[in-house]
Amino acid sequence: MNRPKNILLATALALTFAGQAMAQTTIEGLHVWTSASEVGALKVLTDKLATMGFVWQDSAVGGANGANAQQALRTRVAAGNPPAVMQFLGFEGLGWAKEGALRSLNDLYNKNGWQADLPPVMLQFLKQGDDFFATPINMHRQNWVWANKAVFDKAGITPPKSWEELIADGDKLKAIGVTPIAMSDEGWQIEELFESIVTDVNGPDFYKKAIIDLDDEALSGPEMVKAFDLLGKVRGLHDAGYTGRDWAAASAMVANGQAGMQIMGDWAKGEFLAKGMKPGIDFLCFPTPTATPNYKFVFDTFGGFKINNPKINSGQDAVAEAMMDPEVEKNFNLIKGSIPARTDVSMDAFDDCAKRSFADRAEAIKNNAMWGSVTDGFAVEPRFSGVFLDVVGKFFVSDMTSQDAAKALVDGINNAR
Amino acid sequence: MKRSIRFSDRLANWLPRLVLTPSLLVVLVAVYLFIAWTGWISLSSSNIVPRYDFVGLEQYVRLWSTPRWHTAVANLFIFSSLFLGLTTGLGLLMAILLDQRIRAEGALRAIFLYPMALSFIVTGTAWKWILNPALGVQKVVNDAGWTSFVFDWISQPRFAIYCVVIAAVWQSTGFAMAIFLAGLRGIDNSVIKAAQIEGAGLPLIYRTIIVPMLRPAFLSVIVLLSYVAIKSFDLILALTNTGPGSATEMPSTFMYAATFRRDQMGVGAASAMMMLMTVAAIIVPYLYSELKETRDGC
Repeated sequence: MNRPKNILLATALALTFAGQAMAQTTIEGLHVWTSASEVGALKVLTDKLATMGFVWQDSAVGGANGANAQQALRTRVAAGNPPAVMQFLGFEGLGWAKEGALRSLNDLYNKNGWQADLPPVMLQFLKQGDDFFATPINMHRQNWVWANKAVFDKAGITPPKSWEELIADGDKLKAIGVTPIAMSDEGWQIEELFESIVTDVNGPDFYKKAIIDLDDEALSGPEMVKAFDLLGKVRGLHDAGYTGRDWAAASAMVANGQAGMQIMGDWAKGEFLAKGMKPGIDFLCFPTPTATPNYKFVFDTFGGFKINNPKINSGQDAVAEAMMDPEVEKNFNLIKGSIPARTDVSMDAFDDCAKRSFADRAEAIKNNAMWGSVTDGFAVEPRFSGVFLDVVGKFFVSDMTSQDAAKALVDGINNAR
Repeated sequence: MKRSIRFSDRLANWLPRLVLTPSLLVVLVAVYLFIAWTGWISLSSSNIVPRYDFVGLEQYVRLWSTPRWHTAVANLFIFSSLFLGLTTGLGLLMAILLDQRIRAEGALRAIFLYPMALSFIVTGTAWKWILNPALGVQKVVNDAGWTSFVFDWISQPRFAIYCVVIAAVWQSTGFAMAIFLAGLRGIDNSVIKAAQIEGAGLPLIYRTIIVPMLRPAFLSVIVLLSYVAIKSFDLILALTNTGPGSATEMPSTFMYAATFRRDQMGVGAASAMMMLMTVAAIIVPYLYSELKETRDGC
């Protein structure tokens, strides 16, 4: 073969490959998913996108509970180079939508009628004014207790029916040489405990009034003081080494029998499953004890930034459609440990904890007993949830009285308004 | 001939300015322009992104009504004074001891200086475990038989800040020592000999002659370490993550949380301005007096 022919051939080949690469649009997604189960779950979504003709360009920014990703995003937006789609938790998306930075997905919502497939209380985090700006893929429940079955049997206790009973069970666990509650002194972990107590003792309507609506009277009232009193009683139930402990390390304590239980969202379930433990046999999952059943949620969404490029825009639409695909939601959540955001997905393949979560959610939707959690930013805007974390975290580790704590909440909230 | 001399004179005059101009421009933009920008943001209602309106001192009022900010300011003073005092004192002591022509001085110097090579993240994580009552010092002593021994400062809001001091002093003392040692080596031996001939003992010589002669070394140590104290952000995050119950909050961690986690960019900018003013209020007079004296003295 002579030289010019070679060059021609090479050029032809190069052009062919270039043509193929051009046909597939790359969609950049900025998110905080870095753990094994999160990455595995995300792959379900990106595989679906690949079949729709889009290449997912992964920009994962982990660490600092999502603060690093938020910082990265702010820098990118300020530089006029936002990612095609961004993962949002709680009010993060609403904040950007209010700034007018996000693309409206109304056409897709209207075409597919997605509103009807989602729990109504979710919509406020997907819609700013008249515009839908994001789609959800999952839902985590936050008010769970994870318990070691063998330890519970040894101490002769069963899942408690009230917080008073749970605290009393602590003494029985101590008697057999086990740390009753595996936890940490980190503000957000204590806040999880606290908001479960607030809702469980005073009912979901009170939670709505005091914490979602930030009503002064409710925030400083006797119900709040009572909740702080109960939280104070939990103080004696953790071990001395709880300083700065990671939530997953606390789950491990329950899994290996050092501790009796942990109060944590259902992302903790993965820690038990990863050790080969079976729900109901090796470990127990039950909602935090209450006479007024309620459901505290956290969910992940993706929204698209306004980018003047029709190819990118069709990719943003494809991400939304893939996320709302029932099959994708099912397979995604089987790996992630949460339940589908859609209410019409079959739960047959899921474990008992997930089935319970799905059933309880259906019940909570009917009873209007389903609210977002403060800890993960689904109750109030970050400047208010920060106040809850500060006050509750400080209360737990110091000798602050319940009355002072309730007053500090009201003062802090009003200062941040 | 005359003309060319004048040209090279002029060039010699202009060259330093020419060479310094680019870096001066970078500093002007990257430091002073952004200080001004932060000042502007601190007077606006900025939340999630910068907003260029004017709300007066509202964000400063909000800042000073936040109890966590008061903790942060108090901690900055506790931490900085203890950190500076202990590091300088211990560093000077170690330098004087090392300066006694002892054996294996090189090895000891390297050992003491080594912590400086670690990042604050590593120091913080290691000390987090050492100070944890269920893992570190307390457990070791308890297991050795002294079961009533308690050392749980890190989980006590009142004492946690001292844990940060311990870790920071451990990290930076070697650095202070190295600078003092260099200073000591620069002192002419004949001064000491002369004082000895006059009958002065070593403690007196160190107190009245050598330490005062180390003044430039003190200046370097204090300026460099104050800057470490103020930016102690990563140490706090790794060691206590501002806990327990915000007890180890510092202005730097406060500013980060306000700006990037709580959508209170205006409050964050106000706290940054307060930090700048505090630093300026302390460092500027000190630098001024130190540098003025050198100029007068020489």
